[in-house]
Amino acid sequence: MNNPARLLASLHLRALPVRQRGLWLGICVLAAIGGWLVVYYNPQPVDVTWQQMQERGSWRVGMDPSFPPFETLNAQGAPVGYDVDLAREIADQWGLEVEIVAIGFDSLLDALQVQRVDAVISALPFDARRTQDVFYSLPYFEAGIRLVVEAEAEIAAVDELAGRSVAVEWGSRGDAVARRLQRDGVALERLTFQSPQEAITALVSGASDALLIDGVTLQLAQGKGQPIRPVGSALESDPYVIAVPIDAPELQKAVNESLETLQQNGRLGLLQTIWFGRNP
Amino acid sequence: MLVGLLLLCSVLVLVYRLPVRNWVPLGPQRMVETINPKMGIHTRLTDEPEAAKIKRSLEMVREMGAPWIVEYFPWAYYEPRAGQYDWAHPDLVIDHANRQGLTVIARLGYVPEWARPADSHPLYLPEENYQAFGRFAAAFVQRYQGKIRYLILWNEPNLSLEWGFRPVDPVAYVEMLRVVYPMVKAVNPTVMVLGGALAPTLDPPESEWGMNDLDFLQRMYDAGAADYFDILAIHTYGWGFDADEPADESVINFRRAELLREVMVRNGDSNKTAMITEGGWNDHPRWTKAVRPSQRIHNSIRAYEIAQTEWPWLESISLWVFRFPWDQKSYQDNYTFVRSDFEPKAIYLEVQRYAQGLSHAQ
Repeated sequence: MNNPARLLASLHLRALPVRQRGLWLGICVLAAIGGWLVVYYNPQPVDVTWQQMQERGSWRVGMDPSFPPFETLNAQGAPVGYDVDLAREIADQWGLEVEIVAIGFDSLLDALQVQRVDAVISALPFDARRTQDVFYSLPYFEAGIRLVVEAEAEIAAVDELAGRSVAVEWGSRGDAVARRLQRDGVALERLTFQSPQEAITALVSGASDALLIDGVTLQLAQGKGQPIRPVGSALESDPYVIAVPIDAPELQKAVNESLETLQQNGRLGLLQTIWFGRNP
Repeated sequence: MLVGLLLLCSVLVLVYRLPVRNWVPLGPQRMVETINPKMGIHTRLTDEPEAAKIKRSLEMVREMGAPWIVEYFPWAYYEPRAGQYDWAHPDLVIDHANRQGLTVIARLGYVPEWARPADSHPLYLPEENYQAFGRFAAAFVQRYQGKIRYLILWNEPNLSLEWGFRPVDPVAYVEMLRVVYPMVKAVNPTVMVLGGALAPTLDPPESEWGMNDLDFLQRMYDAGAADYFDILAIHTYGWGFDADEPADESVINFRRAELLREVMVRNGDSNKTAMITEGGWNDHPRWTKAVRPSQRIHNSIRAYEIAQTEWPWLESISLWVFRFPWDQKSYQDNYTFVRSDFEPKAIYLEVQRYAQGLSHAQ
């Protein structure tokens, strides 16, 4: 069916009077030329953010430096932390400098939308409601609730918690998950503690069989040498992501590619070791 | 026969497509069972359109053991054009709340476009429209005769952002009360008007952001406010302090409510009562004024206890906030008692145990 004549035949144009046939052919030719012109003179939308970054030679990253080890200020008042280094690692791949812009957490996405910054990296949780306003990268850290056991323990899944004790910080999200599991019929014994550290100590000392804590607390505890390990994926996911403008396709692509590169070459793991400590 | 059947089907289809879809049965009349009848919570159903979720929220408040709720009814939502009211949403909230045995304290505010200058902020109420606000408040009271007995007029007028981004003005606020109060009372003299609802703040004099709540209240009395409100609405947050931290003029803590009470007494208003219509603690991991989740539970329960055992001048205490229709993805989420998907947080379950007379699980 590639022959145009056969195509025309299939459209029954031969059945039309000669003048009408000519008219239709003319319309088709004009439409084809118009379409070609539209494509030719209307290339991909320009990514102004990406262009300005190249012209400026820097990537302006918004963050609230009040959440160590992700971001905080050192004794000299300079921003330091996992997210700061992550921004530098990514910008290095593009041959750009990083400019950190300190902004209150609740105003970060507003600052992005009014182009005060080119991106937000600030232990920022994914928010489905904002996906029409900003673009979110692939996750780079899972901060959700994890089931954690002692390093040598044999527990491999939530349904093995029946008849076992689970330590939680009283009132925390881990506590809420434990209560939900109980309501769902998992016959676990919930042991409550005033702080996450006490709950971790309970697990390590053998006073409890398992633990429910968030991903940040888990990483910090592992980094301090606590012999504990997560089991399975997060029971309640809370991924941290990078936000960039919704109308910056080149930047969006570049951020995701860079994150994948950092994941593959081990630099992301190295950052975790630097800022959380080495997993036992 | 066939025509009749078709007509019946058409009617059924039409009925299905009408607002009946956003309807759930009120259910039987319920009562709140609690050991502390002063317990309350600020619900946030303003932006919750679904009848089933409104009902579920209010059921869960009852099940928690709190007989009081504070709810926000924005004027702009319900009178989008002057004199044209749309009561569908407040009808849902108030009818379901009443059916669950809850007493509603209704907070009114938020100015419709037609009642303020072009491009002004919705919290900007020009003086020439105090009457218009009064007409709305009176219409609200008229509609909910027998269902609403408590009305808060405006919110946190001692903050510039809540006063339409103008310099705060206690005299102008009292003038608003002076206009609206008699209009409400003319419709229903038994309705109790709550004034104040001041934000706890230590803003220095001449601050562009706000005025110290203790100073603002005194200036309200100086401007003659005493005759234009029946109950003082108090906002009191604990921030990083325990509920038992002593009151201090230079500190924002829970017992700051006692300082506001002192201002009332000093101005000869000791016969009036007060209601805490906002307050509580936050357990966000990265907010500087937050506490640990366990501290939040202890303090919240202690606040309910203090209200019941130590403050006879306080009628109710409604902590902020029961649930948001969706996650705010900010520290505000860590004020809630129930997640947006109705999963009860530990604080909800512990407060429920307290209301049942059971000891803490911890």
